[in-house]
Amino acid sequence: MRLPPFEVLEPATLKNALSMLEKHKGKVKIVAGGTEIVGLMKLGLSVPPYILSLRKIKNLQGIKESKGQIIIRSNTTLREIIESSLINDLFKGISQAANLVAAPPIQNRATIGGNIFQNSRCMYYNQSELFRNGLKPCYKAGGVMCRAVKGGNRCFSVYQSDMAPALISFNAKAKLEKSDSSRTILISDLFTGKGENPHSIGENELLTDIIIPIPKGQYSSAYEKLRIRKSLEYPLMSSAVFVSGNMNGEVIDARIVLGAAGSSPKIIDKASKVLKGKKPSNKDIEAASGAVLQFVEVADNLPVPASYRRKMAVIYTKRAIQKALKDLRKDR
Amino acid sequence: MKKITLTLKINDEKYEIITYPNRTLLEILRDDLLLTGTKESCGEGACGACTVLLDGLPVRSCLLLVTEAKDCEITTIEGLAKGEKLDPVQESFIEHHAIQCGFCSPGMILTARSLLNHNPAPTEEEIRFAISGNVCRCTGYAKIVEAIQALSNRGRE
Ligand SMILES: Cc1cc2nc3c(=O)[nH]c(=O)nc-3n(C[C@H](O)[C@H](O)[C@H](O)COP(=O)(O)OP(=O)(O)OC[C@H]3O[C@@H](n4cnc5c(N)ncnc54)[C@H](O)[C@@H]3O)c2cc1C
Ligand code: FES
Ligand code: FES
Repeated sequence: MRLPPFEVLEPATLKNALSMLEKHKGKVKIVAGGTEIVGLMKLGLSVPPYILSLRKIKNLQGIKESKGQIIIRSNTTLREIIESSLINDLFKGISQAANLVAAPPIQNRATIGGNIFQNSRCMYYNQSELFRNGLKPCYKAGGVMCRAVKGGNRCFSVYQSDMAPALISFNAKAKLEKSDSSRTILISDLFTGKGENPHSIGENELLTDIIIPIPKGQYSSAYEKLRIRKSLEYPLMSSAVFVSGNMNGEVIDARIVLGAAGSSPKIIDKASKVLKGKKPSNKDIEAASGAVLQFVEVADNLPVPASYRRKMAVIYTKRAIQKALKDLRKDR
Repeated sequence: MKKITLTLKINDEKYEIITYPNRTLLEILRDDLLLTGTKESCGEGACGACTVLLDGLPVRSCLLLVTEAKDCEITTIEGLAKGEKLDPVQESFIEHHAIQCGFCSPGMILTARSLLNHNPAPTEEEIRFAISGNVCRCTGYAKIVEAIQALSNRGRE
C-alpha cells in the first residue's frame, strides 16, 4: 500500500505550526505518532496535500502538576502515560485505558492527542479503495446512503478511542490553540455526535494540552474494554467509571461514560443518578448498568454483532462500577 | 511532489537518502537500502512483522513516515548480530525452536531485545505483554516465550 503524494511541513515551534495551519487551512493534516493517520492515508481515506509533523516541537510533550490539575501535553505518548506513576495514582481509569490501547509497539508512538482525534470507524468504510469502489459512496465517504444499516438515514460509524471516555469520566478539558487565539473546552464538547465528522475542532486549530482536574476527597475510577482477543484491538464497547464518596462505599458523585457505543463517547447521567447519594447495593449496580442500554447506538458495522455489543455495554459497565466501588473502599 | 534529502542512522551507520517524502521507513529499508530482514505483512500496523527499534523501542515501520525517523537511532535485525556472533536473543530463539517460517522472527527478536534492555528479568506476564503486538502464525508463542524467559536475568552477555 503506497501513500498518496504530499509535502511535509516540519515547524520547530508551536507558533510556526499554528501559522502554517492557518496558511494551509483545509489542506493540511497534523501527524503526531502517525499510527492512525498513516493507515488512513494508505487507504486513500485521507489525502492531504500537506502534512504537518509535530516531531520538532520540543515542548509539546510531558506530564506536569499545576494548581490542582494535571496537564498532559498533546504529543505525550501513551507509553509515557502508562509509565507515569502520577497518572496511575490519580487517574487509574485513564492509566488502564492507555494500557489497553492496541499493543506496546503502537503505544510507543501513539499520542494522547492523536488518540482523541482518531476518526470514527466502520467495517464498510475502513477498507481499500478497491473494496469501496465496488459500492456506492456512504455518508462518511460523501454519499447519501449507509452500507451498514439498510435505509439508514445517517452515518453509524463508531468512535473507538479508549482514551476519550476515560478522560471524560474525569471531566478533563482540552486546550485548543490557533494563530490568534485559544480556547479551553470540556473534552466531551469536542464531539459533534455525527459519524461523518465526529469532532468539532477547526481546521486551523491544534490541541496543545489535556487538563485533568484532580478530584477532591476520596475517589476512584476504572476502565473496562470489550475486544475479541486481549491485544491489538480497538474497543468493541467500553465503559469508563468515576466515583467519589467515602470509605464505606457511599457515593457522592459518579460519572459513567460509554465508548464505542456510537459516533462519540456517551455520558450516561441516568446511570450515575442511580449510584449517587447511597451505598449502592448489588441491585443498584444492576440498575445503573442496565440504564446504559437505551443510550447505546450501534449497528452491525464492527466484527461482532450489534446485539452482542449492546448486551456487553451493560456487563462491562457493571464490571467497571464494581471495580471502582471496590477501589473506593480501599484504604490509601 | 518534490524529492527530499535526508540522513538516517541505521544500525550505527549513516545513510544519505534522496526520496519522495511519501515513503514509510519500511519502504526505505526494504526497497532502497535492501535491508530486507524487516518484513512487510499487513502494512497497516496490525501484525508486527515490520517492527524496528526507534531509539531503542519497538515501533511499526509500516506506519512510520520516513521523515519522522530523522534524528533517531534505528535498529533493524541486521544490526543485532556482531559479525558472526549472534545476539543472545537470536541464539535463544534457535535453541528453543522459537522460529518456524521465520517471518515474524525479526520483529519478535527485536521486541524481545528491547524488553530485556529495559527490564533484564521480566516475568512471564511482562514477556507476553511485550510481544502481544507481534503476530506469529507458526509457533503458538509458547516457544517464543520460553526463549525469552531463558534469557531473563542474563542481560546482554
Ligand atoms: C493495529 C491498530 C490498533 C489500534 N488499536 C487502538 C485501540 O485499541 N484503541 C484506540 O483508542 N486506538 C487504537 N488505534 C488507533 C491509534 O493508534 C491510536 O488512536 C493512537 O493513539 C493515535 O495517536 P497518534 O499520535 O498515532 O495519532 P496520528 O495518527 O498522528 O493522528 C490521528 C489524528 O489526530 C490528529 N491529531 C494528532 N495530534 C493532534 C493535535 N495535537 N491537534 C489536533 N489534531 C491532532 C491527526 O491530524 C489525525 O487526524 C489502533 C491503531 C492500529 C494501527
Ligand atoms: S506490516 Fe507493519 S504491522 Fe504488519
Ligand atoms: S515463525 Fe512463522 S510467523 Fe512466527
